[in-house]
Amino acid sequence: MNSTAARAEGVTKVYGWGDTRVTALDDISVAFAKGEFTAVMGPSGSGKSTLMHCMAGLDSVTDGSVFIGDQDLSTLSDRQLTKLRRERVGFIFQAYNLVPTLSASENITLPLDLAGTKVDQSWFDSVVETLGVADRLKHRPSELSGGQQQRVAAARAMVSRPDLIFADEPSGNLDSKASADLLAFLRSAVKDHAQTIVMVTHDANAAGYADRIVFLADGRVVDSMKDPTPERVLDRLKSLEY
Amino acid sequence: MLRVSLKGVWAHKVRLVLTALAIILGVGLISGVYVYTDTIGKAFDGIFADAYSGVDIAIGTESEFSFGEGTYLDEADFALIDEVPGVEEAYPYLQGIGVTVLDAEGEVLSSGPGPPTFVASLSDPQGNTYRDTGGFTIDAGAYPVGSGQVVLDRGLADQGGFEVGDRITVISDLVGRLDLELVGVAVFGEGGSLGGTKWVFFDLATAQSVLQRPGKLSGGVVQVTPGTQVDDVIAGIQAVLPDHATVVSGQDAAEEEAAEIQAALSFFTIFLSVFGWVALFVGSFLIYNTFRIVVSQRTRELALLRALGAGARQVRGIVLLEALTIGLIGALLGVGFGVMLAFGLQLILPAAGIELPTASLSIKPRTVIVGLAAGTVITFVSALIPARRASKVSVMAALRADAAGRPARGGLLRRALVGGVILALGLGALFFGLFGDTGSGPSPVVYVGVGVGVIFLAVFALSPLVAGPVTNLLGGVLERFTGTSGRLARRNAMRSPRRTAATAAAVTISITLVALASTLTGSIRGTLDEVLANNVDADVVVLPAGQFGDPSAAFAPEVAERMEGIDLVADLTRIWIEWGLLTVETPTRALTDEILITGAEPNLADFIPPDGFRGSLDPRPGEVVIEAAIADDYDVALGDSLVIEFEQSGERPFTLVGIADGPAWAGIVAIPATDLISATGQDQHSQVYAQAVEGVGPDELKAAVEPLLADYPNVAVQTFEDLQSEAEAQLNGLLNFILALLALAVVIGMLGVTNTMALAVFERTREIGLLRAVGLDRRTTRRMVRAEASIVSVFGALMGIGLGIFFGWALIKALEDLGFAVFVIPWLPSSASVAGVLGSLLFWLLATGILGILFAVYPAWRAARLKVIEAIAHL
Repeated sequence: MNSTAARAEGVTKVYGWGDTRVTALDDISVAFAKGEFTAVMGPSGSGKSTLMHCMAGLDSVTDGSVFIGDQDLSTLSDRQLTKLRRERVGFIFQAYNLVPTLSASENITLPLDLAGTKVDQSWFDSVVETLGVADRLKHRPSELSGGQQQRVAAARAMVSRPDLIFADEPSGNLDSKASADLLAFLRSAVKDHAQTIVMVTHDANAAGYADRIVFLADGRVVDSMKDPTPERVLDRLKSLEY
Repeated sequence: MLRVSLKGVWAHKVRLVLTALAIILGVGLISGVYVYTDTIGKAFDGIFADAYSGVDIAIGTESEFSFGEGTYLDEADFALIDEVPGVEEAYPYLQGIGVTVLDAEGEVLSSGPGPPTFVASLSDPQGNTYRDTGGFTIDAGAYPVGSGQVVLDRGLADQGGFEVGDRITVISDLVGRLDLELVGVAVFGEGGSLGGTKWVFFDLATAQSVLQRPGKLSGGVVQVTPGTQVDDVIAGIQAVLPDHATVVSGQDAAEEEAAEIQAALSFFTIFLSVFGWVALFVGSFLIYNTFRIVVSQRTRELALLRALGAGARQVRGIVLLEALTIGLIGALLGVGFGVMLAFGLQLILPAAGIELPTASLSIKPRTVIVGLAAGTVITFVSALIPARRASKVSVMAALRADAAGRPARGGLLRRALVGGVILALGLGALFFGLFGDTGSGPSPVVYVGVGVGVIFLAVFALSPLVAGPVTNLLGGVLERFTGTSGRLARRNAMRSPRRTAATAAAVTISITLVALASTLTGSIRGTLDEVLANNVDADVVVLPAGQFGDPSAAFAPEVAERMEGIDLVADLTRIWIEWGLLTVETPTRALTDEILITGAEPNLADFIPPDGFRGSLDPRPGEVVIEAAIADDYDVALGDSLVIEFEQSGERPFTLVGIADGPAWAGIVAIPATDLISATGQDQHSQVYAQAVEGVGPDELKAAVEPLLADYPNVAVQTFEDLQSEAEAQLNGLLNFILALLALAVVIGMLGVTNTMALAVFERTREIGLLRAVGLDRRTTRRMVRAEASIVSVFGALMGIGLGIFFGWALIKALEDLGFAVFVIPWLPSSASVAGVLGSLLFWLLATGILGILFAVYPAWRAARLKVIEAIAHL
């Protein structure tokens, strides 16, 4: 029984040609354990977003392999990747997470609707209850606060019970209270429902909610840390000349 | 950011191409029509100049009649010309219609719909020959001399495969079968044909006999003695000829004839270019919408410009300059396209059997000026409102991310009020025109026309209000079948009702015209069915075949005599028809109309029973019976006196003794047959109605009558079912022709959908990226975009069909006098034919839905091709 939710093996990602050639990921290997809340940190241009995009099947890799569970993404067609994303991966982006024409509830069930899967009503109720958006379900995104929007996005990511959730700076646009609320919800999803979450961030406070931190620089894994606290994270970042 | 800018350029390119395309197509059609008709006009100018090049003076006649056969000169009068000083020689000629040429197998060569066959004299009995009979010269063989010789025009000779020296059969409507020797072939101008018309030439005496106009002439040509003043000779000739003779110099005659052709052409030009203007009008919605969307997309950029110190006027200028540039480019390409179109028409029309003289393409300054002005002005005007809005962008919009493109909400109530008032005004004008007493003011048609225009405006003002609910409903149906993509499409279509409405408006205009054409032809068909099936009590009718559909065309009386001889005929009635000028003079007003006069037998009403009548249905000599609608128009009552003027015999007084009502009587003015025969000097029938004896069906009777007509290939016996299907075919032809011209407007309307969808996809890049990330596959992405386009198109079509039906109803009400008895909404195809399907409104509803999908293929493809991570990074 494999205990990794996703892993990258010797992944290299190169953009551009000739003089404009940029190596975003440089032979990187990393694994994310099931039921673990992992934060990926690193300075701008360290390749943390690229890593997330590649691991989520949003972008192709130049070399190496990416696995979600035992599935090698490089062997999948665009349709299969799309299917994999809606069934096995959840997303929370920094902003613009919701389709403006759909209500909160419709946004949450969107991946299930697209897959034609029936919504597990009790799980849906418990997710929206946990995330505190149960009374906002009929509202359009434009009628929700930034924090509420991000929590609806989190509910959408969780409602299909994905193998893992990728969160790209999910609290980046929120004030500190809303940010703390959202991260606490993500934390409890991992703890209470054994959800796997991979979160890209450069905020030491946010990273403090994670079980483990992977540090990237220049497209390589340079360090990792178990059970971080914001203070230890800041110290480590300093030592990485961040 | 470079990538984002490149995307901006891409979007810019699409809107440039689509906007320009709308202009190119509209301007192309207009200038193409100009170039083509100018070219034909130029060719005719040349032909007439050639035709009259050897003619010093041309003599003709004039007539008050637009549709009659023309008036004549007496040979005796013409002979006086020889005595006029300065006349070297005078050659008379006669011209008319009424013959049919048979091919070697005895089949009719020149009947059926299409240009008529003319009869003309080409030489006189003395063997005097001259080159002019409206521009024809002998190309092969000799001039016809004596009653046994004939000359055909090149087209007719080739069609029949005749050679000079062949024996050919010509059937005269009036004198029957003629066996003739083909002695020559004539050509028009430099070897062409005169608009595809067919010509049969005899010598003068033979032409007079064939046309049954003994001693009569249509005109002549004169050569003056060298050294004399042509004007003096003209005055001299005028003095010896009756007043209705026209005497002009050959040069003036050429110019007059060319001018007549030009007038006919200009009708053709206007008719065709109307469709170009409609296309441009539709295009203006596309342009307006494009600039509106682009301005809202560029709100932040424009606000930044304002923040950097650009004035409102400068911002407006930027937008208008862009519009002018696109308009000018589109118009230039459009004129070029028009020239190619004209060139193409020159190649295609002869292949379709429409032969017109050709010349090198005539591109007049007027064509270029109108084309360029139309294209640039329409683009400029369409961009005015968006430009004004651009200039009102506040500097703050540069700083607030969410300020861009948010529609103003407060305007809805005002819009509803203003739209409602406009609608009420439009309806008021329309109904006043239809049912009110317009008195001495403008004619009802003007009120109806203005009403229609104003209603259009009101519908466009109000359509954003209904766009939401209607697209919601349409999308709901779609969502049932397509699930999530349908729901997303529905919500997208609803998100900006103004944009949806403006996009749909372009579709609406073209579909309104399509629905109007369908409703009108459907109603004409319904009226014909009603009249023919329920209001005529006859089994067969005998009619002249062909001859350009002239109702006054006639055939020999022997036909009816032979029919009376067969047992299957229970009863028949003969009908004589001629054009007349019907005048009613009262102390308050005088009204004159050129109208068909029916010479009736006493039993006419047995064959066309009226719904009701006052007075008598059997006019005695000096009496007239007319249809109720005509009586209303002339405001006459029983006992009033009417004057009918005949082209050949002048005015005759009649007393109104009967007024009949009912569809079968539409347009009928009936006098006794004897009166009409004496007024026209001819005893030929235009129609014969026959009833079969008990137990014999129409087809059986028709089969019995047909052999009697073997000697009269120009006469046809038809059942009323035949007439119905023939009328059906003609209506379908007309509808197809109009739809073909409207196709351009429909295409431009649909291009507007393409444009809006392309801009929407660009605008929603981030959102599409998100949808793709959370599991929307490419196929569903495409389906979502196409479904939205389909919803918007069908919304436009629904409005168009509604308006088309309403306007059709209004028009039929306004034209009730012309005999429109029923109003038909042609929802379903009238027949299984192509035209039958094209005339059905449901077809167009379905078709626009499918066209919406087809025209969104490109934007849908763009949407599906967006790279997910780039899309997410966008903005």
